[in-house]
Amino acid sequence: MASHGHRRLATGAAPYGWLYLLPALAFTVVFFVVPLLFVLGVSPMQWDGISAFQFAGLRNYIALMEDSAFSTAFTNTLLWIAVGLFVHLPLALLVALLLSKRPAGWRVFRTALFVPSIISTTALALLWYFIFNPDFGLVSALLALIPLEGLQGLRLLADPTTALWATQLPYVIYLGFPMMVFLTQISAIPEEYFEAARIDGAHDWQMDLHVTIPLVKPAIIVNSLFVVTYNLRLFEYPFIMTDGGPANASINLSLYIYKTMLQSFDYGGAMAASAATIAAGLVIVGLMFTVARRLPGDTR
Amino acid sequence: MKRMVRPRSAVFLVALLLVSLAPFLWLLLSSFKSALELYQHPFALPSRWSADNYVTAFAQQPMIAYLRNSLLAAIGSTVLAVAMAALASYSLLGRLRMPSWLAGFLTFGIFLPTSAFIVPYYFIVNWAGLYDSVLGLIVVYAGVSLPLAFLIVKTYMDTVPRQLLDAASIDGAGFNGTFWRVVLPLSGPGLATACIFLVIVGWNELLLASLLTGTKAAQTVQVGIRSFLEAYHADYPVAFAAIIVAVLPIIAIYLLLSRYIVSGISQGAVKYE
Repeated sequence: MASHGHRRLATGAAPYGWLYLLPALAFTVVFFVVPLLFVLGVSPMQWDGISAFQFAGLRNYIALMEDSAFSTAFTNTLLWIAVGLFVHLPLALLVALLLSKRPAGWRVFRTALFVPSIISTTALALLWYFIFNPDFGLVSALLALIPLEGLQGLRLLADPTTALWATQLPYVIYLGFPMMVFLTQISAIPEEYFEAARIDGAHDWQMDLHVTIPLVKPAIIVNSLFVVTYNLRLFEYPFIMTDGGPANASINLSLYIYKTMLQSFDYGGAMAASAATIAAGLVIVGLMFTVARRLPGDTR
Repeated sequence: MKRMVRPRSAVFLVALLLVSLAPFLWLLLSSFKSALELYQHPFALPSRWSADNYVTAFAQQPMIAYLRNSLLAAIGSTVLAVAMAALASYSLLGRLRMPSWLAGFLTFGIFLPTSAFIVPYYFIVNWAGLYDSVLGLIVVYAGVSLPLAFLIVKTYMDTVPRQLLDAASIDGAGFNGTFWRVVLPLSGPGLATACIFLVIVGWNELLLASLLTGTKAAQTVQVGIRSFLEAYHADYPVAFAAIIVAVLPIIAIYLLLSRYIVSGISQGAVKYE
């Protein structure tokens, strides 16, 4: 590569130009290529981290499929992605549409809704862990206002049927970041488009549906990709609010990997789960790209 | 130009605002109460505004160390990652005729869930002798954030007009000179955007910090506040105080830099599709 640069460079300057590239290249190899190979290479091994590798073939993967905690973690992660794409994002878009009409005080709303989304997820998870506390939490107090026997003293985080949804609630509410992405894209739409639609007699919501939304397709794509990658990595909400419980009801893939590694010391198993996570991620992102190309509106 | 919003939309916005912010207000107020008062009067104003919880948090836990570690990890990794991204982006501007897949290679990591790499990261860090050290966090954060930094910086650097690069080389600036005296200064806003995003991400990170540190000497503030859950399960208001302290820096950053944060996102929303 150095000789290529040397030969073709018009100014004859930099055979060492590729040195500029080297640090980034090295870090990418160390932190992405090597781990990827590591995960793929070690997941068929039986390994406790200390002794030698023992080839175990598909055993780790089979154990994975037989582990109910893993299948729960897998489906829960898919549910997180679904909630992100079909609840969190549409709500963010709705808020962005409303704020784009610049009602009185819209800047205050924009700031107040955005700031929580840059605060650490750790702090948000801790906060909502307390909000769900049955003794002094806001949720219990609100439920107490409803005079239904079954709603008293609910331990939403400790109940297997509600634990997952309880951990997802703060994620749905704090939509400031995708809202901001939508808002800035909406404000980039030239006014003439709306003028033309209004002349044709369109109502406000018709303009939203047929003018605005198709034109924010790039923002929808960017936000959707971010939602998928974010939820594949998501760790804080299940880790802090429920530790994956009760009885693994709210565990997800990253927490499963973390626990398999640090509590069971089952590195082969952790890596099999890691491989599954990466595979799932690639499939979902691939599906999204295919769908994105087929949708009407501005394409890349 | 103002358009009118329907009443039910206004109600929706206000409701969302309340649900988003009321918990924070409650957290702030409760951080000034004693544990007893929290259980007896969870939603009243503190009867006596006391900073005891804050004092306890700092006295009994190494909050200063946690904050320092978070600061070093966030800023150190950001400087490292953005520097590497800037150098790499420049080398790929086109003058060196590098293979076009290189840009994609440096970016594809964005799609990989880093939670799937905790086992190899753990072993790499141990092998390098960087376990339980802030330097280890700096290096790992820089590596993990590099794709994002590169994407932001490269997209911005690509907008530098070719005429300026050609003019510089005609003036005899050379490869290095053009970088330091022309391209880098012009890329300022892109570099700033990348820095802001990376610092926020680095400050907020939990998984890798939990994984790669073992003692309080190297732990970050996110790991610290999480440990308050166990340490203070009988005295939650102290944990509340710690959480407030942990989020104030990010809020301060936003209040100071909101213009840049918003413009950074708007550049992204328009360009990255």
